[in-house]
Amino acid sequence: MTAATDQRTVLAVRDLKKHFPIKDGALQRVVGQVRAVDGVSFDLLRGETLGLVGESGCGKTTLGRVLAGLEKPTSGGVYFDLSEQQRTELDQALRAGQGEDLAQLEAAHRVDRLDATNWRRFRRNTQMVFQDSFSSLNPRHLVSDIVGRPLRVYKEASGSALTERVVGLLEQVGLGRQHLYRYPHQFSGGQRQRISIARALALDPELVILDEPTSALDVSVQAQILNLLHELQQNRGFTFLFITHDLSVVRHMADRIAVMYLGRIAESGETTGLFDDPIHPYTEALLRANPDLTGDDEGFRGLEGTVPDPARPPQGCRFHTRCEYATPDCGWEIDDVVLQLEDTPALFDKLVGVERRSPFDADLEFVDASAAAALETALHGDEVPSSMKAAIEQVSVGAQTVSIKFREVNEVLLTPRGNDRLAACVLDALPSRD
Amino acid sequence: MTAPATNLQKTDAPVVASVRDLRVHFKSKAGIVHAVDGVDFDVRDGETLGLVGETGCGKSVTARSFLRLVPMPPGIPVSGSIMFHPRQRCTACDGAGCVACDHTGRVVSTCPACSGTGCSTCEQTGAETLDLLTIPERDLRSIRGNRIAMIFQDPGKALNPALSIRKQVAEVFYAHRSDELLASAGIDPSSHSLPTGLLRRRATQQSRTLENVLLSLPPLRSRRSAITAAADDRVAAALAETQIPNPRAVMDRYPHELSGGMKQRVMIALALACDPDLLIADEPTTALDVTVQARIIELIKELQQRHKTAVVYISHDLSLVRRVADRTAVMYAGRIVEVGDSEQIFHEPEHPYTRGLIDAIPGAHHERGRLAAIEGTVPELIDPDPSCRFAGRCDFAAEVCWTRDPALEPVGDRQVACFIHHPPEHGEAPTFDRTAR
Ligand SMILES: Nc1ncnc2c1ncn2[C@@H]1O[C@H](COP(=O)(O)OP(=O)(O)OP(=O)(O)O)[C@@H](O)[C@H]1O
Ligand SMILES: Nc1ncnc2c1ncn2[C@@H]1O[C@H](COP(=O)(O)OP(=O)(O)O)[C@@H](O)[C@H]1O
Ligand code: SF4
Ligand code: SF4
Ligand SMILES: [Mg+2]
Ligand SMILES: [Mg+2]
Ligand SMILES: [Zn+2]
Ligand SMILES: [Zn+2]
Repeated sequence: MTAATDQRTVLAVRDLKKHFPIKDGALQRVVGQVRAVDGVSFDLLRGETLGLVGESGCGKTTLGRVLAGLEKPTSGGVYFDLSEQQRTELDQALRAGQGEDLAQLEAAHRVDRLDATNWRRFRRNTQMVFQDSFSSLNPRHLVSDIVGRPLRVYKEASGSALTERVVGLLEQVGLGRQHLYRYPHQFSGGQRQRISIARALALDPELVILDEPTSALDVSVQAQILNLLHELQQNRGFTFLFITHDLSVVRHMADRIAVMYLGRIAESGETTGLFDDPIHPYTEALLRANPDLTGDDEGFRGLEGTVPDPARPPQGCRFHTRCEYATPDCGWEIDDVVLQLEDTPALFDKLVGVERRSPFDADLEFVDASAAAALETALHGDEVPSSMKAAIEQVSVGAQTVSIKFREVNEVLLTPRGNDRLAACVLDALPSRD
Repeated sequence: MTAPATNLQKTDAPVVASVRDLRVHFKSKAGIVHAVDGVDFDVRDGETLGLVGETGCGKSVTARSFLRLVPMPPGIPVSGSIMFHPRQRCTACDGAGCVACDHTGRVVSTCPACSGTGCSTCEQTGAETLDLLTIPERDLRSIRGNRIAMIFQDPGKALNPALSIRKQVAEVFYAHRSDELLASAGIDPSSHSLPTGLLRRRATQQSRTLENVLLSLPPLRSRRSAITAAADDRVAAALAETQIPNPRAVMDRYPHELSGGMKQRVMIALALACDPDLLIADEPTTALDVTVQARIIELIKELQQRHKTAVVYISHDLSLVRRVADRTAVMYAGRIVEVGDSEQIFHEPEHPYTRGLIDAIPGAHHERGRLAAIEGTVPELIDPDPSCRFAGRCDFAAEVCWTRDPALEPVGDRQVACFIHHPPEHGEAPTFDRTAR
């Protein structure tokens, strides 16, 4: 940690979920839920920079927006500004369930339960900087209005005092008085990002959530912005949540890192340790795919497959569909059979229906007996990973159906791994290569 | 990195395309934008040439010039040539690779004007030489997608949303491989009979409605479906090469049903379908996740090794180009400022801009807040005066840098455009020892 003066927790996030309904048809009936954020917990300590990384669509922006109060959580809690003792009390109260203590803590700290005064305090202390400075800066407003708006809304300043405050802010981000009366389109991408940062800093917030602040910029300009952010943090003690998909950037900027996969945290820990010695196979996969300037070609490798549908996250460990180390305990399920079938159109076309008793146990009905027999044979074939085969507890072939039952497993949760590290994997350590 | 041995081979390999003094400007309200302003480089057989530089420095315009895809107007073709030397299959080994073809499976096509003895069209090289900037549009069409193929940043936009993958990939074969399709269907492509003529038009997808009716009648119908089947086989094989799981099923899908990585694989399949001599990839992985990006790059490398295609790989991401390219050309404000072996350039950059770019990438050795940022931004390229385009951001700029253009000249095995390496005849030369600020 760089500038942590005490151990105040700026945000304590507890089992946070944000689901979006999927609507269909003329009646717009809800047919499912996109589980964009699906059970996330962590603490953000004052003065630190927490990096949030993960593939596209894994829920980083959604998480950032919920934390910034721009979106209401579906369930779970975001708690603002706790002392170390309050944090301990909170976790005790949460374990104990509903009670006097919890109600009291929630009224004062839980972001979606705050009274007007505390809500105001939270909102002005939590600011967000977005990736796309084109759409986040109103093209019809002058820079003076854009940067001055938070000050006006919170009645911090007006008239010439306001202008001077804005000039001060612009100077902090490397711009100046000469830029006051220009429109966003008159600036380069890097300059627009500076304007966004100036706006976010206007109310001197505690926490700044930076969502891919440099992803649209060239490296030379990115370096300017990263230096600027660091300098501002040094001078004013900001807490940063730094969202990015660029591992080189996050390693440079973050004290701690949380790796997200499909709405959940797969691994978190102190930056250097996590980079040098990842525990979760997904963290390793991200690191191997990162084209940095020092590694050799040996380790540079991609990851097969795509991120599964967040409306139907896999059982057990969400990464099991792509994990090269997957074990029989990683959550193999009926959906994995259906996935395999989709790659075999001759068989898939003959599948009539799937009668599920649970995600792990179902009857697959085919048009004829030979197709059913063919599936049974295929389940023993090379296409099926051996750990998946080993997870099958029972297969029986009926007239036109195949009943399959997989070993039932619970969700793989984050567990402590020492040194401030948490990982959600059934393995104790990464299997060594070679 | 590629082993040094192959690097040497590639440096000696014959040139597939050479760009000389390419200048493409654009008309704008503020004046003439000198987007590409005197670009020179060669692409050699079987190599990957990386083209890096910041946004707007002219990478895409350079790339698109190869196939004349820059819209004119507003583009203005000011000067230059892109000499392309098409290859043909090596007859000694039938493409398998032998000593005669330096194990590439292909050899230079001979100049049709002089049959290889050397004349003015081929600049005495004896190799077939086409200036891509001036050959007739009809000749260019037969090269596009056939001898030279291109992949773009956004695979979603490059694919037609209304056509199945099968139709889009098959089109390439109909356009460039109609003889092979006819032959596979058991029809002599050189015959001039009416049915063959009709089927040929079918094979090049030029059939009109009436012809389609004729083709659907018994004697021709089976032949027609034989052509379709032959095309399907080729489409499936092309998709399979890009490791798309279950290509026959993917063929019937539409672009919106595929993920970004999948779409880019389809684009690669399309690009490599006709085994081109040159592949131009303009930021092909910029829109993808790193995990998918790494897979696509492995794929391009592997296919390149198999097909011995020369690749121009364009990206703003230096770390990535280091992984991909045998040689790297660094572009700044419409010019090449440094070009040479990738290993050398990334290890010991010579041009101040290249140094700046490499230092700006956050690495493990950087202290936080101490990245070496290049101050300022890319200058406006409207009617620029003669000067080093980098002078405004260069730590070492001397007076001469503001008044004269440094030329791209040899420094060791590389070429660099900077007065530090080539002191001007008059005036004091800049040096790395003296910073301007
Ligand atoms: N308003 C919404 N309605 C429905 N689904 C949504 C909404 N916002 C996000 N999602 C879905 O939630 C998931 C997570 O999206 P999110 O934007 O948080 O991802 P991300 O990690 O920020 O991705 P990227 O790296 O591409 O920015 C995605 O599947 C997305 O499609
Ligand atoms: N169709 C066009 N009309 C006008 N200007 C263009 C056009 N295409 C490119 N340019 C200009 O040419 C310059 C180089 O662009 P480009 O080659 O796309 O850069 P990059 O290196 O990012 O690929 C830019 O200044 C751009 O604005
Ligand atoms: S639990 Fe660990 S080993 Fe199992 S699939 Fe998940 S990441 Fe892989
Ligand atoms: S020293 Fe002069 S010529 Fe060389 S890059 Fe700098 S400004 Fe250009
Ligand atoms: Mg996002
Ligand atoms: Mg471009
Ligand atoms: Zn040969
Ligand atoms: Zn000739």
